[in-house]
Amino acid sequence: MTQSTGKQDKTEQTAVDNRKVFAYKVGIRFIRSIAVAFWVTVIAFTLIRLVPGDPASNRLGVDADPAALEAMRKQLGLDVPPIQQFINFFQGLIQGDLGTSLQFDREVSDIVFSALPVTLWLIALSVLISLIIAIPLALFVATSKSVLVAYIFRSSTAVAIALPNFFIALILILIFSIRFQWAPLLGYTPEFPGNLEYLWLPAVVNATTLVSILSRVLYSSIGDTLREEFVETGIIRGIGRFRFLWYYILKPSLAPTVVLLSYIMGVMLGTTVIMEAVFSLPGIGTELISAVFNRDYPTVQAIVFIFGVIVVFFSFFGDLMAYWLDRRVKF
Amino acid sequence: MSIKKFRRWMDEPGNSVIFTGSTMFILIVLAGIFIPFFYRFGPYDFVGDPLQSPSLEFLFGTDQLGRDVFSRTFHAVYLDLGVAFLGVAIPFAIGTVIGIILGISKNKRLVALISSIIDGINAFPLLILAAALIAFLGPGLGSVIIILSLTNWARYARIARTRAVVVSQQNYIEAAYTLGYPKRRIIRKHIAPNVSSETIAYALSDFILVILLVAGLSFLGLAATPPTAEWGAMISEGRAYIQGSPWVTLFPGAALCWAAISLAFIVEGLNRREGKI
Repeated sequence: MTQSTGKQDKTEQTAVDNRKVFAYKVGIRFIRSIAVAFWVTVIAFTLIRLVPGDPASNRLGVDADPAALEAMRKQLGLDVPPIQQFINFFQGLIQGDLGTSLQFDREVSDIVFSALPVTLWLIALSVLISLIIAIPLALFVATSKSVLVAYIFRSSTAVAIALPNFFIALILILIFSIRFQWAPLLGYTPEFPGNLEYLWLPAVVNATTLVSILSRVLYSSIGDTLREEFVETGIIRGIGRFRFLWYYILKPSLAPTVVLLSYIMGVMLGTTVIMEAVFSLPGIGTELISAVFNRDYPTVQAIVFIFGVIVVFFSFFGDLMAYWLDRRVKF
Repeated sequence: MSIKKFRRWMDEPGNSVIFTGSTMFILIVLAGIFIPFFYRFGPYDFVGDPLQSPSLEFLFGTDQLGRDVFSRTFHAVYLDLGVAFLGVAIPFAIGTVIGIILGISKNKRLVALISSIIDGINAFPLLILAAALIAFLGPGLGSVIIILSLTNWARYARIARTRAVVVSQQNYIEAAYTLGYPKRRIIRKHIAPNVSSETIAYALSDFILVILLVAGLSFLGLAATPPTAEWGAMISEGRAYIQGSPWVTLFPGAALCWAAISLAFIVEGLNRREGKI
């Protein structure tokens, strides 16, 4: 009797310890993310100061009116010493003030928050499509015994990763928008079910690369998992097919894919810039490009900052989720 | 190499893929070297009526200004591959050196500081950082090379650092110290080659990414700008005519795909040889 309660205590104790370890690890990872986010801020801040010469005269021209130059410097916050500039920049960020756009006389935060949802929708849809295709594909190829299937899978994904997405996008526009007219050429509506009509084709283009990357990683980790002894145990114990596939094969294999996915979602912020340009979507990438062409420094700076923070955020949650899926993952 | 030996080499896993990839790559490089030399039309010559479809006279047709697409497509090889090569080679050199120094440095605080800056740079998608810096440097292929040198080294430094930490703990490094070799020699002859084998492998796949990045930035009008004969810029120019005259867009796009896929095959083959996949 006493023995059994002792055992129970012990298991409870380990559970608490596990939770503590988990909290500790999450804490450490969080602090590291904050440190990276700090550097992200510093880099975004430094960008505008990296300009050879004076940003104000770069924008207004060399023979601009000195008073106008002074006003521009003031608007860019360049009229005070650098340390003070950084403190101002940082204070502004904390208050949600990203500065004022030079091209529209609008708050940059307004521009960002009206454009960001489009980009996030596009990324979410691309990831969803990719996962729906990549997981069954990787499972099928990894569990199939055929050498030919594996060969075709590896070669075609190797090719798909190297394809330039903007060129694929143009070909798909030629096929789906112009020939079959299944997708609109231009335009966007922000409402939920309606926006899918405009987003599905760019999401499919993003998915061509994403499916290849994800399914390759998943394929190789499923291969590793299949060599584990618990898989054999599962087979011997005669576990139901669905349970077996999820608990024994997929769940232990998903961690590297999730980590990669969180990283790729960051990279995709970059590729969506091109996708938005091809499909004329009013996302944050389009805003970035227009700001770059108009030398709208505060907007460029703010968008770069937002992108960096989103990437840090994505990778933090990716690591968290990978650890939740598989406690063997090094954090 | 005799044919028999070659056949045996081809039977090893991955080698046939490497062979296909390198043949494709060499072909496009040769085309890029020789076609601009010997072809009768220059990339910027107005040779005939605009938007003629491909024919014996104009193999890839003519574009909206009546320039020869064939000549332009192959003239772009040296720009695209050259810029991408520099955009890989410079960050590779800088990053590997910094990574090795970080990996063997004893000053833990400095290493932690620089590593977190590296993480900070790596947090940005390359294309975002490149686009943002172009706002300050102005569009152009030169800017792209500068930007890649400024930012892309961080990825190499990260790989090199991790590798250098592992390598410097190996027995053969200790043996070299025991033999009394000077530190510089150990770094140059023992650590550097072992670290750079890793970063070279990354450089090869990075080459694909950078080719696509250069073309992508040009497509957005941020790197090469029209009328430059560059694949991304040509695709962007031809885009308006894609419905009636797809050849203006398709041929430069196909060349870009060809270059990227050939390198992807080489990377794939090397991975198979190593048994990585």
